[in-house]
Amino acid sequence: MSEAWADIRKLLSQSRLDRFVSEGAWQHIARAFPGEEFEDWVTALGSLTAAGIGPGGAAAYVRASPLCADIVGADATLALAASAAQVMRRAHVRAAINLLSAAPLAARRLKHTAGFLQWLHAIEDLAGRAPESVDLVIDRSDQILSQLDAEGFRAWTLAGIRNAGDSAERRVSFFSLSEPDALRVFEQESGLISLGEMERLLKAYLAALWGIYPIVRPLPPRKSLMFRPRRATFDRFLIRFPETYPGFTAQESRRLFLAGIAHVGAHIMFTPERFPVGPLKPVQVALVSLIEDARVETLAAQEFPGLGRLWRSFHVAQPNTPLVAEAHMARLARALIDPAYEDDDPWVNKGKMMFFDARSSWDDARISRTIGGLLGNDLGQMRVQFNTKSYVVEPPYRDDNMGVWDFGEPPETQADDADVIYDSFHIEHTEEDKPHHRQRTEEHQDAAHQAARVRAVEEDIGMPVARYPEWDHLLGRERPDWTQVVEFEPRPANSDPIELLIAEYPDVVARITKLIRSAKVSQPTRMKRQPEGDRLDLEACIRATIDRRAGRPFEHRVYETTALRYRDLSVLLLLDISESTRDQVRGTDVSVLSLERAATVLLSVAMSGLGDPFAIHAFCSNGRNEVRCVRVKDFQALFDDKTKTRLAGLRSGYSTRIGAALRHAGAELEGQLTHRRLLLVVTDGEPSDIDIKDKRYLVEDARKAVQGLAHRGIDVFCVGLDGGGESYLTRIFGRRNVLLIDRVTALPEKLPMLYLRLTA
Amino acid sequence: MTLDDYRILEEPYYRPLGDEIVIFEAAYADRMPMMLKGPTGCGKTRFMEHMAWRLRKPLITVACHEDMTASDLVGRYLLDAEGTVWHDGPLTIAVRHGAICYLDEIVEARQDTTVVIHPLTDDRRILPLEKKNELVKAHSDFQIVISYNPGYQSVLKDLKESTKQRFAALDFGFPNPEIEAEIVSHEANISTDLAQRLIKVGQRSRHLKGHGLDEGASTRMLVQAGRLIDKGTSFETACEVAMVLPITDDPDLRAALNEAVSACA
Repeated sequence: MSEAWADIRKLLSQSRLDRFVSEGAWQHIARAFPGEEFEDWVTALGSLTAAGIGPGGAAAYVRASPLCADIVGADATLALAASAAQVMRRAHVRAAINLLSAAPLAARRLKHTAGFLQWLHAIEDLAGRAPESVDLVIDRSDQILSQLDAEGFRAWTLAGIRNAGDSAERRVSFFSLSEPDALRVFEQESGLISLGEMERLLKAYLAALWGIYPIVRPLPPRKSLMFRPRRATFDRFLIRFPETYPGFTAQESRRLFLAGIAHVGAHIMFTPERFPVGPLKPVQVALVSLIEDARVETLAAQEFPGLGRLWRSFHVAQPNTPLVAEAHMARLARALIDPAYEDDDPWVNKGKMMFFDARSSWDDARISRTIGGLLGNDLGQMRVQFNTKSYVVEPPYRDDNMGVWDFGEPPETQADDADVIYDSFHIEHTEEDKPHHRQRTEEHQDAAHQAARVRAVEEDIGMPVARYPEWDHLLGRERPDWTQVVEFEPRPANSDPIELLIAEYPDVVARITKLIRSAKVSQPTRMKRQPEGDRLDLEACIRATIDRRAGRPFEHRVYETTALRYRDLSVLLLLDISESTRDQVRGTDVSVLSLERAATVLLSVAMSGLGDPFAIHAFCSNGRNEVRCVRVKDFQALFDDKTKTRLAGLRSGYSTRIGAALRHAGAELEGQLTHRRLLLVVTDGEPSDIDIKDKRYLVEDARKAVQGLAHRGIDVFCVGLDGGGESYLTRIFGRRNVLLIDRVTALPEKLPMLYLRLTA
Repeated sequence: MTLDDYRILEEPYYRPLGDEIVIFEAAYADRMPMMLKGPTGCGKTRFMEHMAWRLRKPLITVACHEDMTASDLVGRYLLDAEGTVWHDGPLTIAVRHGAICYLDEIVEARQDTTVVIHPLTDDRRILPLEKKNELVKAHSDFQIVISYNPGYQSVLKDLKESTKQRFAALDFGFPNPEIEAEIVSHEANISTDLAQRLIKVGQRSRHLKGHGLDEGASTRMLVQAGRLIDKGTSFETACEVAMVLPITDDPDLRAALNEAVSACA
């Protein structure tokens, strides 16, 4: 021990630490790092000092290390020293010192060694990729970790890096939480169960209970991180939920979402019309809402007793709270729907009595107004403070009751416009009125045709239609709603060049026509030697009779039958029209895109000849929020000159974010009712996008998208026009689902043949 | 041939929902071809058994499947020790000896198969056995009945117009809650109160028809759940085993249905 002390004194004088750290702290360190660990601690401090962290940093380490060691153990604390050194190398000294100072609070939030180490790792990683932002994140660590666990923290930092691409400025705005996207990701990561995971279940649940088919959306992201708990809200069109319920376990969050949607459902069923606010005071509004909540829940529970149990489990208010409006209201809420709950407060009991006395008119919403108004008055007379600003409906499953009040003027939604557009389109997308939607675009086509000429110079305007997740291979999971697909109308153009190009392949056209005739629908095939069938197979009969008479065992399969072979498949052809398709093919004067067009036309001839329903989409991308998709032909549309003019109107440009395009095409194909669904992708280069530096990222995402499609019974096949594309294309699509064409000029003849072979 | 095996001796339970019994009797009096429409498990087959018992006629039921050929209905030559012998198919037996032939889920059979019934369904009432070179005249008791579940299969499967127009039809749906509870309570031997709760669960699943489910839980499923309860299974488990698990493989829908079951329990 005395030797150790000697060492320490030496270190102290070297680093001039004796000015900063008291004797008690040293003893704490000696306790936290007993025996050999102390040596390691000294070494760690030595190397930090040697790395040039300076006296302030060393002091921060000395102060932080025992506090961290108490919570996450000595080893993790030594890792902290290493991380600080790393951060110092990658970013700057100030960040490293901040990290050391923030560590004890983080350790307290994270509680466990594994989480703490993960957090350190995420910070180190961030220091490497976004050195200018690491300070911002460390400063907010405590605040962030109050809502995210270590995994969520890592996901959030990675999202920030992915979001900003190369721009340090955008990274700073993301990590300082001043960007809506940062808050959105933050909300998605902050609970154990997110709305995204629950959405389908919630909709099905409400549909099952009352036959209500709602649209469920997340609340718009909050404007800042300082907040009070959020509640669901609904109006005549939408039910909006918080992305997550932070602070609840996975199981509790799940039940909260269920209880929440059932409660909103009860309002929709039993609150016939909205109450006019009129002259009511805020406290009265809150109390009328509370009574109304109890009334609809009581009615719903008469029909579904299980719902009553579910709701009651969230009411945990107890008697003997101080005289605060919120607490009293929570007690009243419980008293009204939990008959077993006893309360001694006269006001609570009065409310309870009035509510149950009105038993016979529970189906009349006016009683809520009467009782709530009276109780609100009483509360006022009791001089109990009610703070409208800080009031939050309790228990958390209940909505904010905006849907039961009529405030006169319809309140403008606070959501920004993009959100509204996206919502309205999303509706169209999820409802089963797709054909309707299509029809409309078809009708508009002629008008569009003319308009396109007029505004040829105008920038084209796309409509955001859907959001898709994206797989992050570093994170090992999907980031929800990360990409946005924007659909564009193709501008019709003169199709003569295509026709000319096709004219160069007369033998191909002839061959295709012939093949179609033989591959055509429902050819009867005679099948001999069957165990069952319409007719006796004479040859088999004779052989069997001979065998039997000769005393040998004989074959029982003596029938023949005819089987019809139906073609039952639909195809979506997805064309890559990224910038690289503008390149001219070596030795010719045509571009890759022109060849794609010609091949598409020939293939379309084959497909429409066979009567297979098919659609043609083209895609390119301009960052994650603009995956551009052009619908050249829908499944319902006929293949005609119009399609050709639309094909001719495709223009090369932008990048290749293929994963989102695959998901979008898959969603489209999924609506087809055929037995087999084939997605045929023609691409000429490696996936890339302007906001992505990590080459593997988009490849892995596309691979995940293909796997997802395979799960849903959609076959994906890729035609690669890049001779060297084997490595990444086979990684994405699988070895057997890729055909590489070295000689791009061969595409127009190869594509239809490939199709016939694939679908034979 | 006596067809005794095909006679139904004890009355099968059937709870009429309207005047379908009277109508069917009238149709039988004229030997009119009948079509029973309705979702699976709503009681079409049970109704046929009941009518066969009521009319005291043998009932030959054929479950149609997509590999069924015309020979499976009409008959075929088989090979035996002496050479080939003709065996009548179920339809031919009914035509020759006078039974009600019930072709269950006829859309499942291929369209070229179903045309063999055409000559039986107009005033000719004959069945040509092409391969045997025989023309069978229908017995005076013979009637053909088909069942047909519109819309549950893909749009690709539908009856030919020429087939459809030969039949008169009875439309079966799920009975209203009181009657359905009566049926479930009788069939599963459980209390009316319990049966009503099962019906409530069934209705929840029917709300999801077209919203993830192709078809809601049928009366048959509810009866099965009821039987499990009668044997001592708990309400929620019985619903899960007899209804939720068979009806869908989608985890979200399963969860939603299970939660709806808990809400009803």
